[in-house]
Amino acid sequence: MHSFILSIGFGLVTASILALASMGLTLQFGVTNFVNFAYGDFLSLGAYISWTANVKGGLNIWAAMAVGALSMGVIAMALNQFLLGPFARRFRNLFYVLIVTFGLSLIMLNVIQAIWGPNYQQYRVGMGSPLHVGPFLLTANQLVIFGIGVAAMLAIHLMLTRTRLGKAMRAMSDNPSLATVSGINTRAVTAVTWFLTGTLAGLAGTVLGLNIASITPSTGETFLFVIFAAVIVGGIGKPYGAMLGALIIGLVTEISAVGINAAYKLDVAFAVLIIVLLIRPQGLLAVKGKA
Amino acid sequence: MAEMALSVTGLRKAFGGVQAVRGATFSVPTGSVCALIGPNGAGKSTAVNLISGALPADGGRVVLDGTDVTGWPPNRIARSGLIRTYQLSREFGRLTVLENLMVTPVGQAGESLVNVFFRPGRVRAEERRHLDRALETLRTFGLFELRDSYAGELSGGQKRLLELARSVMAGPKVLLLDEPMAGINPALIEVIGEHIASLREADVTVLMVEHNLGVVERVCDLVIVMAEGATLATGTMADLRADPAVVRAYLGGAAA
Amino acid sequence: MQIGYYAITLLFFFFAYCIFNWGLNLQFGRTGILNFAYIAFVAAGAYIAGVTSMGPPAAGSGQSYVLGTALPYPVPLLLGGVAATLLGLLVGLVAFRRLRSDYLAIVMLSLSLVAYDVVNNYVPLFDGADGLSNVPQPFAGALNLNANSFLYVFTGFAGLVALAGWWVMSRITRSPLDRTFRAIRDDPDVVRGLGKNVFGYQMTSLLIGSFFAGIGGGLLVEFVGAFNTSAWLTPETFVIFAAIIIGGLGNNVGAIAGSLIVPVIFVELPKFLPQIGGNPALIPEIDNMVIGGLLIATLWFRPQGLVPERKTSFARLRRGNRADRPAAAIPVGGAANG
Repeated sequence: MHSFILSIGFGLVTASILALASMGLTLQFGVTNFVNFAYGDFLSLGAYISWTANVKGGLNIWAAMAVGALSMGVIAMALNQFLLGPFARRFRNLFYVLIVTFGLSLIMLNVIQAIWGPNYQQYRVGMGSPLHVGPFLLTANQLVIFGIGVAAMLAIHLMLTRTRLGKAMRAMSDNPSLATVSGINTRAVTAVTWFLTGTLAGLAGTVLGLNIASITPSTGETFLFVIFAAVIVGGIGKPYGAMLGALIIGLVTEISAVGINAAYKLDVAFAVLIIVLLIRPQGLLAVKGKA
Repeated sequence: MAEMALSVTGLRKAFGGVQAVRGATFSVPTGSVCALIGPNGAGKSTAVNLISGALPADGGRVVLDGTDVTGWPPNRIARSGLIRTYQLSREFGRLTVLENLMVTPVGQAGESLVNVFFRPGRVRAEERRHLDRALETLRTFGLFELRDSYAGELSGGQKRLLELARSVMAGPKVLLLDEPMAGINPALIEVIGEHIASLREADVTVLMVEHNLGVVERVCDLVIVMAEGATLATGTMADLRADPAVVRAYLGGAAA
Repeated sequence: MQIGYYAITLLFFFFAYCIFNWGLNLQFGRTGILNFAYIAFVAAGAYIAGVTSMGPPAAGSGQSYVLGTALPYPVPLLLGGVAATLLGLLVGLVAFRRLRSDYLAIVMLSLSLVAYDVVNNYVPLFDGADGLSNVPQPFAGALNLNANSFLYVFTGFAGLVALAGWWVMSRITRSPLDRTFRAIRDDPDVVRGLGKNVFGYQMTSLLIGSFFAGIGGGLLVEFVGAFNTSAWLTPETFVIFAAIIIGGLGNNVGAIAGSLIVPVIFVELPKFLPQIGGNPALIPEIDNMVIGGLLIATLWFRPQGLVPERKTSFARLRRGNRADRPAAAIPVGGAANG
């Protein structure tokens, strides 16, 4: 019973990492209407940039995290500007840009591996001893991660509902043609969306690396499928669905580790995914017409 | 065939809080060409989607040639003899015009893997039959010359003709046309109207959603008016022009 | 014998990739199924062909895997194809749920990653990350071959299998079934609206393609003699996609062109690249970047690939079916579906 309660604590931490990542993916999907298969590599690249700032640049982990996140935001914006945007505008059929993101993923993975090598790397950060927080046992870092996740979700919620940008994003997500004729500068909104998705990915990648205590070039790609699980469970294109999906997947995977060999944690996420696909493929909070 | 090729009773559909169709009821006599008209937002396109099974209805019944097809999936309704077209032509762009027609018949021998390898003679024979009928249909609709062009390269009017040709190739009992004249060059409207009218001779019952009342008047036997999601009136154009409720709801400011 | 060995390996991979490419081309090029899990089907074929041709794991060898039935060739190869087809059945039942194409792609990719994870972690299945090794060489005993001549003979065998595959795939892509596949590629909803069972056709395409993947995988494991999880990471699916797109999507000849490209880049190119900073591990990374870059460039500058898909003209249809001129006018829309 005790480990069960503890696992809920870990589940919340995993959920907050997953929420950061899922929201990035879902916001971008909502605005651009295609899935970015290179997203996992966005996480990896962000994590490695943070690592360089942290270990080589001597910054503390939180400053390094900011550097990694913002850098990834800029890189994502550039990728959209020079690669993804032109493809999406030129080909009406989704296939092309999907394959391009798939190709981008391959290129990014190999670039990361070429620059930083294939071995495990670790952040230079103090490993505090676990603290008792309520019924949970978490390290200070994990608490901060959880805090970052909650803060980010709140910030995104406020942005989507209170700011003009957020409303424009929602409009483009719901009805792209109407958004264009309503005078929304879709190119600008798209650019900012990519910046956001890159930043969230960079943030998520770094906290992921922090939580699992090491990173490799394929860390992000491996995590991508858990992100997919969260996004599909919640309903693709719906940010609040992504949060819900993240919570469910985060909790289920950690709690299941109590009973099953922890190596299969990610496969448990899959079992959830498959069950949802069989019962309610459009997700729990589906947006009509998206799936 | 039954006296009424198509009957709908009390069809209902709501999207979120909006009641798009509220209790639509009408019947289309077999062998006739009928129109479904009404102001924008009257629920006509939704009704078409409900009848063809593309959208599930919240309530009501759809009876096709005596069979209750309410709630059936679209491909089952299509196999029972109801073929629909779309407001924006949805041709198979990367197939040729001829292939667009050839792909239409359901349950072709050549669609079975077993037949492809073990009964090639049967496949070839059936292909010849379909080919003859397809070419004849293309000739009727004036598309024979374009038979080898990719359907995606056709003009708007040609695509509309192709869609009609393809629908006819399917040999339907009832053809549901969703705004066949929308966006068509006025010169072609007459031609398309004649093609639709000639479908009577092929034992096809037609129900078309249309805004072009001139065509409706020339081509259709019976007109059904919808407004605000419900059936308002039924009759010939002359009857409807005399009906004050209809004039108020629609005919007053409509295109003729 | 160095030159000979090198050339025969290239030739073998050419044949194997032809078979892979035809399978994925049917699924993706002709039917529009974004099967990002394709490599998992290849793996299924490889593993099953491997474990059914080997005997039970020798004690103390450190290997552990299921089956181990040591069946005579070519039974293991066929079983590999069947296994991949069964996997396709499972995947199709879960994934084909009237989802839009990119959603389907996510599901496929995720399923393949799960499969990878399970095989990697659950060692008793296929020996985990170490995988199978010392897979017996078919025919070697019967024809009394040594390791070298085996390669020649087996490549010849692979060539025969490829020839058979070419014949089968050509028949399929010239049939009305293929026409329906291509209609589904363009617009599955309209095909549904015509009354056809789109799910059934998508499954058929998936299963046929999976069978090809499995056969290819079975050939691969017998040639190389070993197979483990590093051989079927996601980048491998990507390579096959790249091959069929660069070669020319949607046609079997393009698939052949594509299968020339892959071995050329992965085997030839490294010979010309100088060792960068003394780091030999960079070679595969550069190979992958080149393939990724080449794919993106192809999609931008020549999306139809090297060999564009060929149009099925009326003349071809008539030749294929020897139609006669219509004798009398046939009523339009008269008799229903032939």
